[in-house]
Amino acid sequence: MREGKKKIEQAARRWEAEVLKPRLERFNLEKSPTTFHTPLTTNGSRFLEKVGFPGQYPFTAGNHPFEFWRAHAKTAALFGFRPDWGGAGGVGKYGGFGTPADYRDYLLRMQSMGRRGGPNIAFDLVTQCGFDSDSPYAEGEVGRVGVAVDSLRDFSVIYEAYTGELDIDRVPSNFTINAPAAVIIAMYACLAKKRGIDLARLKGTPQNDILKEFIARGTYIFPPGPSMRLFRDTCVFCCRHMPSLNINSIGGYHIREAGATRTQDLAFSLANGIAYLEAGIEGGLAVDEFAPAFTFNAFGGSMEIYNEIAFQRAARRMWARILKERFHARDPRSMMIRQPITAHIGCSSTTLQRSLNNLARAVIGGMAAGMSGGIPGAYPPFDEPLGLGHSQEAVQLQLDATRIMIYEAKVADVCDPWAGSYFMESLTDRTEEDALAELEKVERMGGAVAAIENGYMPRAVAKSAYERQKQIEAQEELVVGVNCFTGANEIDVSINRVVEATYDPELMKTAEERQKASLARLKRERDGRAVTTSLNNLKGHARDHDRNLMPAICECVENDATLQEICDVLREVFGEAQPVKL
Amino acid sequence: MEEMPRQLIDAARQGSERALARLISHVEDRRPGWKDAMKAMYPHTGRACVIGITGSPGAGKSTLVSEIALRLATSGLTIGIVAVDPSSPFSGGALLGDRVRMRGISAASGVFIRSMATRGVLGGLCQAAKDVVRIMDFARKDVILIETVGVGQDEIEVVGAADHVMLVTFPGGGDGIQAIKAGVMEIADLFVVNKADRGGADETASEIAAMLELSSEGQAGKPPVFTVSALNGDGLTDLTAALRGYINRKKAGPVLEQAHVRREILGILEREVTCLIRERVASNGNMEACIARIMAGTSDPYTAADEIIALFAPASRIKGGMP
Amino acid sequence: MVHDSKIRVLIAKPGLDGHERGAHVVAYGLRDEGFEVIYTGLRQTPEQIVSAAIQEDVDVVGLSVLSGAHLSLTSKVMAGLRAKGADDVLVLVGGIIPEEDRKALQEQGVSGVFTAGSSIKDIAAFIRSRVRTGE
Repeated sequence: MREGKKKIEQAARRWEAEVLKPRLERFNLEKSPTTFHTPLTTNGSRFLEKVGFPGQYPFTAGNHPFEFWRAHAKTAALFGFRPDWGGAGGVGKYGGFGTPADYRDYLLRMQSMGRRGGPNIAFDLVTQCGFDSDSPYAEGEVGRVGVAVDSLRDFSVIYEAYTGELDIDRVPSNFTINAPAAVIIAMYACLAKKRGIDLARLKGTPQNDILKEFIARGTYIFPPGPSMRLFRDTCVFCCRHMPSLNINSIGGYHIREAGATRTQDLAFSLANGIAYLEAGIEGGLAVDEFAPAFTFNAFGGSMEIYNEIAFQRAARRMWARILKERFHARDPRSMMIRQPITAHIGCSSTTLQRSLNNLARAVIGGMAAGMSGGIPGAYPPFDEPLGLGHSQEAVQLQLDATRIMIYEAKVADVCDPWAGSYFMESLTDRTEEDALAELEKVERMGGAVAAIENGYMPRAVAKSAYERQKQIEAQEELVVGVNCFTGANEIDVSINRVVEATYDPELMKTAEERQKASLARLKRERDGRAVTTSLNNLKGHARDHDRNLMPAICECVENDATLQEICDVLREVFGEAQPVKL
Repeated sequence: MEEMPRQLIDAARQGSERALARLISHVEDRRPGWKDAMKAMYPHTGRACVIGITGSPGAGKSTLVSEIALRLATSGLTIGIVAVDPSSPFSGGALLGDRVRMRGISAASGVFIRSMATRGVLGGLCQAAKDVVRIMDFARKDVILIETVGVGQDEIEVVGAADHVMLVTFPGGGDGIQAIKAGVMEIADLFVVNKADRGGADETASEIAAMLELSSEGQAGKPPVFTVSALNGDGLTDLTAALRGYINRKKAGPVLEQAHVRREILGILEREVTCLIRERVASNGNMEACIARIMAGTSDPYTAADEIIALFAPASRIKGGMP
Repeated sequence: MVHDSKIRVLIAKPGLDGHERGAHVVAYGLRDEGFEVIYTGLRQTPEQIVSAAIQEDVDVVGLSVLSGAHLSLTSKVMAGLRAKGADDVLVLVGGIIPEEDRKALQEQGVSGVFTAGSSIKDIAAFIRSRVRTGE
């Protein structure tokens, strides 16, 4: 690189005049439909400062020289393992339905078919919203999108499937739970206590990311302020008593799926992450004590492959810088974004029209992931938009596409293949600058909590979703089979699909009645006075902001107070979250 | 199929929510017979206590309104709520989102909520809102709460027409105080600092009290300032007690004020006359002819207005010149 | 006399499902198509939705459901509207609706099903073609 800036500038001007201009004139264009990048695009090549080596600050090139799955890739192929690489990384299959007994039996059946690994529990919306199965709000929803959990007894029934070599100190558990995460974490701790297992040996990840619920997913209970107090208390409790448990799984995924732009996704996720870090510090922890236990679920995705690669690189660099420069972290593990999925297209990129095309789309997402430090997963299966439940065929094609990218295309044999590209480095810089500007806007409002309370973040996402819709309807953004190439000459292509009835529909029909009956039995059998005493104790603790609520919640849980009874006490003290007016 | 207003009127009086709702649409849309319907209802109105609620965006008005409504409803009063939001000046449509903040009010609590768009074009939001209030009054609502965003002159007039006006602000919202300065202060009978759960409410309350001290010098009685949290219920008992005072006073007997009656007649006339003129000039081609002359440079908009008015009232002496 | 009539639409989220993207986009979109749109927000029971539809005297109710509970929730809303004599209200359903459930929804009395990829223009045109405007 001895050419010098001036020389390249001269050459660029000549190229524009002698090559580009005639070409534009020939096609009668004002502006070129493509861009070309030279050393002039990047503002100097500060490689070590901006990129660095994989596994070293600022982690732009990746968290590690190679990820754990890459080390096992060859073995998996030769021995025919079926790791779930297309979807959620290494964790067990996300699921849950019916009553705790229904779900337990299902898990046992899966185990008898050779499935190992801990549960990745989906809770029904009733549980997610802090109600019991006998609440009027529960009608029709019990056990539907996940398993119903009203009490420690329910929670323990699920775990009857996990004993012996699959006991809870051996396999990790995932809990997709946010607003009442403190109660579920307390149940996990109480279960371990009952089994005589040291809490320090518990592994797993509660989602515990309440802020994105206000911005995107809607299963909130308490106002943002008190919600963050609950987060603080779980953070301190996990850190002190369950150091092997991750504290949360921060998600930009839901934010983007709800309509956020790439910039909003990145800025809001980081703003939320900052709020969680501040909560841990407020709880009296040192940053390196707990930040390594933060995980990210995944950021959002889109079809724009270059932008998504730049996004992953910028995200890693920004988080690392925030931890190091602002929170003065010293442990490199504090600075890493740990996430099971990196780049992907996002479910909202899939189309109902000519749905087999979603396979091609998912491969592009997988390429973006493979080229930005992740498993090249062809996520999601092509029949995602057809309804709830993926077919065996779609899952097979998804897995194979991932394997083709890994073994045949060798996508994951190079770490950060775009490093040093004039184009990609400048795009990464721009992605970072845009997100930083948006992040600063949120910070000026007082941070993530303030920007939720004043409605800014949820409203901004709703507006972006509408803007995107308008762009598609105006054909400013083109989606194949949706707003272009829809003529009579196009044909739809379909394949046979077998959607396994994962869960027994007969059980689903009766789940609500059975769960209500078992809840009534619990309420009859438990020691009512102990329930009242522990709930009153919780109320007293809740009124004192400086007090950690986890011991009191654990006491309630142990005394068979229900999830809603606990949440109702907190509702009374904290109030309920108010939705944002558009 | 359109029900006759007569049937709707009888059913609404007897407590049918559906009839009340349809009657409101009928009058709001100015469908044939609307004025006769209002004439028929008028003698049976004047009983309800009407409270206007305004304040800057973000003050938590809707949540507060719904909490107040619930408290009043549990003591056996029937409640109507009119929630006014602006129409889009571009499409004429509107996104009415106040119900989102009124989720505490279940179907069973006997509170009737009606979202209303300003509709703008023909002016006269104030009269339209008055009509809706009057219909609810006729349908035996004891208390009617009208909520608007206190930004436009139109909205201020709407709450100004109520028996009492409540101004809602919140701590830290610098524009909360600004809104008060913008001219609502004079018409407010009581001030509420909401969101006391966040801290800083007492400072805001004393700031308002100080402003009131200045402006009400020499007058008897300053409006009270309440500090509340609609979120956790703090201070709502006192506020509701104050409102009950208003409601009881109103029950003692309706009071007609000359100024209000005069304003209302003029309000109805303004809208009627404007409609009449618009309709006439649109149908007889006068408007197009005037526009053509102005475009050709042979006339001007002032002359055009005089000419059109002359068509309606040839004998009138309305002219543009000085008297 | 000049009418000032608008088509009024209630957009509602029944059940506990919290995904609002579709509801928000349709609410904004129909406002820009000139309708008066009333949005209920999350977690509405069928009774609350019926009550809002009656009080607001809407011409159209749009239900957005992504949790898979569309059949039972919709049938409760339809029954509620019928019970209150409001069966002339046009009911539309949006969200994740499997193809095989469309027919069941239509049999319940739902006039239109609009899933992902539907355009606002189409929804607006459908409403205009079905709702009389205040004559």
